Amino acid sequence: MATFTQEWANAITGTSYLPMTQAQLKRLLDRLARQLAAALLAEPFDLRAGQRVGAELVAAHIASAEALGRTVEVVQLRLVRDLGLVAEDVADRLARLLAAVTTGYARALRDRTLDEQETIRRAAMAQRTKAERALRASEARFRHQATHDSLTDLPNRNLFTERLTAALKAPQRDTDRVGLCFLDLDGFKRVNDQHGHQAGDRVLTEVANRLRQALTGHLVARLGGDAFVILIERTGGTRDVIAVAEAALAAVHKPAEVAGREVTVRTSIGIVERQVAGATANELMRAADCTLHWAKAAGGGRWMLYDAERDRRELTSQALTAAIPAGLDRGEFYLDYQPLASLRDGRVLGVEALVRWRHPELGVLRPGQFIGLAEETGLIIPLGGWVLAEACRAAGSWSTTAGTPFVSVNLAVRQVHRPGLVQEVRSILRHTGLPPERLQLEITESAMMSPAEEPVRALRHLADLGVRIAIDDFGTGYSNLAYLRDLPVTELKVAGEFVAGLRAQEPQADERIVASLVSLAHALNLTVTAEGVETAGQAERLRAIGCDAGQGWHFGRPEPADRILARLG
Amino acid sequence: MRRPDWAPDDIDIERPSVARMYDYYLGGSHNFAVDRAAAQAMVAAVPEAPLMAQANRAFLRRAAHFLVDAGVRQFLDIGSGIPTVGNVHEIVQQVAPSSRVVYVDTDPVAVAHSQEILADNNQATVVQEDLRHPDRILSHPELRRLLDLNEPTAVLIVAVLHFVSDDDRPAELLRTLREALAPGSWLVLSQASDEGRRDTERSDAEAVYQRTGSPLWFRDRSELTTLFDGFELVEPGVVWVPQWRPETPESSVNAEASAFLGGVGRIGG
Repeated sequence: MATFTQEWANAITGTSYLPMTQAQLKRLLDRLARQLAAALLAEPFDLRAGQRVGAELVAAHIASAEALGRTVEVVQLRLVRDLGLVAEDVADRLARLLAAVTTGYARALRDRTLDEQETIRRAAMAQRTKAERALRASEARFRHQATHDSLTDLPNRNLFTERLTAALKAPQRDTDRVGLCFLDLDGFKRVNDQHGHQAGDRVLTEVANRLRQALTGHLVARLGGDAFVILIERTGGTRDVIAVAEAALAAVHKPAEVAGREVTVRTSIGIVERQVAGATANELMRAADCTLHWAKAAGGGRWMLYDAERDRRELTSQALTAAIPAGLDRGEFYLDYQPLASLRDGRVLGVEALVRWRHPELGVLRPGQFIGLAEETGLIIPLGGWVLAEACRAAGSWSTTAGTPFVSVNLAVRQVHRPGLVQEVRSILRHTGLPPERLQLEITESAMMSPAEEPVRALRHLADLGVRIAIDDFGTGYSNLAYLRDLPVTELKVAGEFVAGLRAQEPQADERIVASLVSLAHALNLTVTAEGVETAGQAERLRAIGCDAGQGWHFGRPEPADRILARLG
Repeated sequence: MRRPDWAPDDIDIERPSVARMYDYYLGGSHNFAVDRAAAQAMVAAVPEAPLMAQANRAFLRRAAHFLVDAGVRQFLDIGSGIPTVGNVHEIVQQVAPSSRVVYVDTDPVAVAHSQEILADNNQATVVQEDLRHPDRILSHPELRRLLDLNEPTAVLIVAVLHFVSDDDRPAELLRTLREALAPGSWLVLSQASDEGRRDTERSDAEAVYQRTGSPLWFRDRSELTTLFDGFELVEPGVVWVPQWRPETPESSVNAEASAFLGGVGRIGG
């Protein structure tokens, strides 16, 4: 038996991987050999024993085509001989037994193969399902990351724009309305500067959480920095959006703790609310953003409602401002002059130069329409410089007889404060040949409000040259009398609003004010010109008070210099 | 854009898998037509390829027996593939039922299959990870759940290292693993070698594995010995795998035909 078993083991070793030791293998084969031997001799002859041996071989992982072939060979050649089996029909029985072994083996191997194929397919399928689920999850995550702000996890600008565009594109009804609240924290830069960016980030996260909690049902997005936006769909009108803004203000306006300290959080909100029909996302965003700036400019910590009229005005102003430099280049500006007449004899003492803009599209514009903007943006420097030079050039060309009027030119605050003013005036006078005493510079009280000494020094220089200095619109500013003592002022121009109150018969408060201004001026050795004189009655009262000169429609409207000069003869 | 770590793997069973090819060499049916085609191409190039796989598997079995006899009860099998027959947990739990086994493989189908096999075994688990990321393997919660790295542990990297090129710094990977192990821990390595092989065999084999996405990187005896740095090699050192503690003298005859070198080392102390 041992010889046969060893032969069998040798025959099948290496046909496939056998997960057992040689000793285990021999024990197994020994047992199977005994079963085969017993089957050969058994009465009655039972083929099922052969099938069982075949199946057992496969179960023991002796499961390859080669293993079966070699098993058949070894059993056929050696089993009967090695074991000395004797039976009448042994050759016949052996053939039938081997047939049963191969049948059992093939059946078991087929089942096993099918099982293994099934498990590996199931594994592949499980893996594919898992991978697909992971892919979907990661796609959702990608999408979330692409549409959300990583700091606050609020929707970001992309998602907001998407939602706003969708709301505008597919309104449920033609009458649908939509609202936006643009938020921007007030003084947020200070938090960052004082407490660091980490603290700033905590404030932003806190604000985001408060908005999220307070405004469920509306899309709250972070646009970047400290700017947030709320989308209110299907509003019933402005009131709905204001309610949201109020809720947002209430939610944000609570102290936040930063680095163990309480920090006040405030925000400004710009609101826009309108019909969906005809609106575009860009337009709405711009309107809300612009309104936000109004709220900031008004002191912050509040909401403001979009005002289309104001927006239009400001847009026009901005466009105008932007066009000033080109207008100067193209010579679109020109000067008109308005006489300043003596109240004593009606003689024209001087003329005030007033700038005009012949705008290629808007026609002739008056200073009120663009000077304020030019002052805000600093464009007043080139513009005012041009007015000064042009007025001096014109006045320099007038005759030089004793009666020729002086020219009065307005200087803006920025011009007065600009270093080099004296240099500029001196150079203009030299180039135009205008005697200094025929130039009057009008400055406003506010030009003198700053504590800087430079402007005062500059005006003294100019006065020393002989240039007349007038205070424009006297009485409407702070009317600080102190500077009248220190400054080389030659004249006060009393604002037209006091003059408007003058009536021939009954002296009123205005008349008393003008009267005391006149006596004050005279006490300081200054002359007084009243502005806005429109009627003979007003001129009469001013003369009675003792005012020196007047300016206004009663004496002549602004017009080209040659017409005034022509009348003077 | 760089692919983030959490993005899922590609689903690709149209490409032959080295794990399922190995199963085919061992006589298993856990494989698809694409794997069989690649495996048959390999057999055409190197006719004894199935014998090589069997020799490796037998080496794994003898090494596992050796370790469990040496008292080791924790096993980390990296690159375990399709657990055909004669898995580490079958071998060691038969001798010592309390043995704990963590399988690691990078092939998602192999991992899914292992999960099914191991569903009822609470002493064995599988982790989908790559040998190239030993830190992730060592910190994986499944590993931490089953293995106490303060106790001696056997790390088995059998028939896998030839898929790790020198660019992947195998010495560093092994050092990371070694430094996480307690004194008395073990390392089992085996890998393909082209010692004594014809150039055509080598290039044909390389061409087959190039298709799998796991190209081959052969190493010789001294290179493999170097990778046992920090371990004391037990007898007989790094040898052709049939020569490593054979059961019978005749089973190590013609050992170089296995084309696999292997050895077992221990951390002293």
